[in-house]
Amino acid sequence: MPYCLFSAVSPSVEWWPIVLPLLAGGAAIYLLLPRPQAYPMLWGIALGLPALVLTLVLLTRSGVISPETILFWSFSAVAILAGTLLVTQHNPARAALAFTLVVLSTCGLFLLLAAPFLMAATIIIYAGAIIVTFLFVIMLAAQSGLSDADDRSREPLLTTLTGFILLGTLLFVLQHYDNGVNEAARELDPLVERVQKIQSLDTREAMVQEVGEPGKDDDLFRQFKRVYSRKPQWKDLEERVEHVGFDWSDIDSKDAKAVEKSKEQLKALGTLAASARQRLNWMPLLARAPLSNMSGPPPTVEFENVRRDETQQLPRMPADNAAYLGRSLFGDFLLPVELGGMLLLVATVGAIAIAFRRS
Amino acid sequence: MPALPLHHYLIVGAILFALGLIGFLARRNLIIMFLCVEMMLQGVSINFAAFARYRGNLQGQAFILFIVTVAACEAAIALALILMLFRRHHSLDVSKWQELREPGEEPTEDVEPLPPAPREPPLPHLTPSGVEPEHRAEESHV
Repeated sequence: MPYCLFSAVSPSVEWWPIVLPLLAGGAAIYLLLPRPQAYPMLWGIALGLPALVLTLVLLTRSGVISPETILFWSFSAVAILAGTLLVTQHNPARAALAFTLVVLSTCGLFLLLAAPFLMAATIIIYAGAIIVTFLFVIMLAAQSGLSDADDRSREPLLTTLTGFILLGTLLFVLQHYDNGVNEAARELDPLVERVQKIQSLDTREAMVQEVGEPGKDDDLFRQFKRVYSRKPQWKDLEERVEHVGFDWSDIDSKDAKAVEKSKEQLKALGTLAASARQRLNWMPLLARAPLSNMSGPPPTVEFENVRRDETQQLPRMPADNAAYLGRSLFGDFLLPVELGGMLLLVATVGAIAIAFRRS
Repeated sequence: MPALPLHHYLIVGAILFALGLIGFLARRNLIIMFLCVEMMLQGVSINFAAFARYRGNLQGQAFILFIVTVAACEAAIALALILMLFRRHHSLDVSKWQELREPGEEPTEDVEPLPPAPREPPLPHLTPSGVEPEHRAEESHV
């Protein structure tokens, strides 16, 4: 049944890596939600842990094992586990503790995403918010004692279905997007390998033979152009391949200079390909987006030049993150910042007015 | 450039968002519902941070700061409202407020009885403090 549904929308997306963890996770959440006659907690754990592992292994599989991937896996596993605890925990005080774990691991993900200022700001602000929540829990829950609120849930089956159908849709769309990226990478990678192989050759004759006759089907430049024409974010690369050019004449030239020049040209081709490979993970470039450069370089800037100081040629991420963010906030977003301050003031007045005891 | 593709972060954000949604719909404790909404905001923040990173500019991060601002306002108002609601019914249960439902709707009633409350361990007996000890007349051996 799910197969028909998925393959009708997008035949390239495999359905079982999405449906399997979703079913296990949904069943786990359903079993773990609090109710008067609770199911054994072991059942929920036995279903939930495999669901988590399956999600991480099937959906976020990537070939490289680097410190970044390991950190990503551990932070997201902690976030998801603590989120499940928050949803299924009877005791509100423990739920607040689980929420601190969610916030901390989200902050870890922020660090991985080169946002150290946000990491610090989130920890400081949410620490305050959670302490206040804790006070409320201690003040209110201790008074009311054992209540229906903590030991029952509303419509556990329907809510779990709602949440996991939403999650399934989101995951399906994300996998669809990822498949497009992978397909393009599969086309590009053999070409990059070919360029590297040609670069390692010594004589011009062998090089020209490997590049292929101009205009023919196996011509390297033509193949690059064909691949570049497939994706919107590669449109400008298609023209730049033509500018690189390659000298097919003087095949027998033993001149070291000519060999060096050809190697330079091939190197330029390789740089273009690397740029294309990295753009795959990026959003399509929108050259006409009306952005100032106060929020960092506009999206038309080449990948190699992003976050590069023009005077010193040094990359600026992430040590200057706070400086950039400040410029962005007080340049591009000055009016929203003022409105945010206004909103905080209004909320403070409102909170005092609501909670004020009239008597 | 980060080693991981963008959609990994988006998946984690989506999972946190869905978990928060389930918690908000299923749980009946006002404070836990509030925490679940905060968790949904965290999921959205991860998305913004990921897009900011993979775009190479800071607009996503600026937006997260606004999310945090709005979350702070929301927390202030929500906790004030929770306090006010608690004063009326002396309970954090949202179902206590189901007279606000639509006219035709049936009220939801809890059929299953709650399990009996676990017996609290008896408090230890301590000797009462603050009682003035008996003064014995000092014996003099002079």
